[in-house]
Amino acid sequence: MSVAGPAAPVLAAAALPIVAQRRWGGWVVGGIVVAFVAAIVWGGIRSRILDLTIIGEYLFHPAIVAGALNALILGTLALGISSVIGLISALMRLSGNPILSGLSAVYVYLFRGTPMLIQLVFWFNAVPTMFPTITISLPFLPGPLFETPTTVVVTPFLAALAGLSLAEGAYMSEIMRAGIMAIDNGQRSAATALGMTQRQVFTHVVAPQAGRIIVPACGNQYIMLLKSTSLASTIGYPEMLRVVTDIYSSNFRVVELLTVAAIWYLALTALATVIQTGLEKRFPPR
Amino acid sequence: MTDNLPAVSLHGVGKSWGPVVAFENVSFDVPRGQVVALLGPSGAGKSTLLRCINRLEGISAGRVYAYGELIGYRETETALHELADAQVSLQRRQIGMVFQHFNLFRHMTALENVMSGPRIVLGLPKAEARIRAEALLAKVGLTARKDAYPAQLSGGQQQRVAIARALAMEPRVLLLDEPTSALDPELVQEVVATIRALAEDGQTMMIATHDMAIARDVADRVIFMEGGAVVEDSAPAAFFTSPRSDRARQFLARLLKDGQAAPPQSPAQQDARS
Ligand SMILES: Nc1ncnc2c1ncn2[C@@H]1O[C@H](COP(=O)(O)OP(=O)(O)OP(=O)(O)O)[C@@H](O)[C@H]1O
Ligand SMILES: [Mg+2]
Repeated sequence: MSVAGPAAPVLAAAALPIVAQRRWGGWVVGGIVVAFVAAIVWGGIRSRILDLTIIGEYLFHPAIVAGALNALILGTLALGISSVIGLISALMRLSGNPILSGLSAVYVYLFRGTPMLIQLVFWFNAVPTMFPTITISLPFLPGPLFETPTTVVVTPFLAALAGLSLAEGAYMSEIMRAGIMAIDNGQRSAATALGMTQRQVFTHVVAPQAGRIIVPACGNQYIMLLKSTSLASTIGYPEMLRVVTDIYSSNFRVVELLTVAAIWYLALTALATVIQTGLEKRFPPR
Repeated sequence: MTDNLPAVSLHGVGKSWGPVVAFENVSFDVPRGQVVALLGPSGAGKSTLLRCINRLEGISAGRVYAYGELIGYRETETALHELADAQVSLQRRQIGMVFQHFNLFRHMTALENVMSGPRIVLGLPKAEARIRAEALLAKVGLTARKDAYPAQLSGGQQQRVAIARALAMEPRVLLLDEPTSALDPELVQEVVATIRALAEDGQTMMIATHDMAIARDVADRVIFMEGGAVVEDSAPAAFFTSPRSDRARQFLARLLKDGQAAPPQSPAQQDARS
């Protein structure tokens, strides 16, 4: 028996079932978290902080839908403008010209280094104080062609758009710079050697590949921008947070209305995610 | 008229980065149709010399001509004026280049890579560029793989696509910088065979290489560089059997010791020829 002992397990090995390693720690932590969240939600419903019928009532309230739409418009326009600003700034930074590169670095430092909220308030309040009137005049003409108080031009919408676009442009500049630098010099040399001009190298070789690389980061920034439109509530732009605040300050259903706003922000985020995924699929594989 | 001008002509060309000298005072002519092998130890300046010919690098001294045209400058009575990017890129059209690491455009298929020069640089219609590219892919034996992306191709296949991409511009000179150095030994043959076929077609080529089979069997002429200078310039047979300089002798002795080249020819190299 003792002689045959060692051989037996080897022969039986093929027939034995495989037992996966159990990671008990993860399951225990997960269970505790789920119980904790359930207790909070249950507590909220029991103490009537959260009334689901009120949420249903306000979810498609015209003012709130309009607020969500405004957030979408503002966030999307800001993404477009900041992409253009970011591309220009990134190209300046990589141009090799010390003045252009320095200007770009200073821009990124200033606009990335100060809170977005301060920048929004600055565009809305400080600029009209600094420049009370906007005047457009042509040389050799006696009077101004166009003159108007700055406050008429700088609406809450424009101030918010300028603030978000310029602040976001600084982040976009760094994202695009990273994307452009990720393309190896070998491909640039090969394109140049074929006879492409530097502009052609950029548009046909660098940009398509850099574009693919920066899509996830841009998706991230789009989502952040959509949520950052809530900052515009402070300068009186009727986006979602502003609308919701106005409603709950009269009916005091704070939690429900904030939940409604959160649901809309989640819907916008889902939209941005769908667009990002679509773009990632559209670019050819590498 | 340009027929009897040399394909490439170097007049006292030098290149340095501050105190780092890649090469100095290099002068030689490459006649049309000749295949030159540039040999020399690592750091001799071979790659830099090739990159100076199509002005991927600016030169520090001397003049580079291709078919009599001064590359990179416009000459007046008083000075050499650096040409703008648009003008240099016009000059580069006639000088093809193949790189050690292939450098294919990774977002384009093999076919699109070969079409890129005619399409983007020459502005040929898509159909015409496609016909040209398909013919070249057939020539390098890759018709079946034309829709593959570089990441889906072996090193040897990528290098053949890169050669086809350079040829699509119908260059009057082809510069190859260690075309087989990044390849596994069993893939070297297919690329060497492609280069040999080009040589037989009369393509003017300058090949920087550590592959003695290319130097001996494909090239018409060996230029041996060391320490940034041309040390020896001779026919391949003469270079391998009776090198004139001590440095060339040492270089060949080192190669022999490493088993890279063994004159007389080994059977494996004779296989590569067929
Ligand atoms: N961008 C650069 N800046 C500074 N020095 C450089 C640069 N490129 C090359 N060199 C130097 O120039 C010299 C020649 O380099 P090169 O790459 O031309 O040699 P090579 O003969 O091609 O060598 P290998 O056989 O290893 O490819 C080397 O001393 C190298 O360090
Ligand atoms: Mg080299």
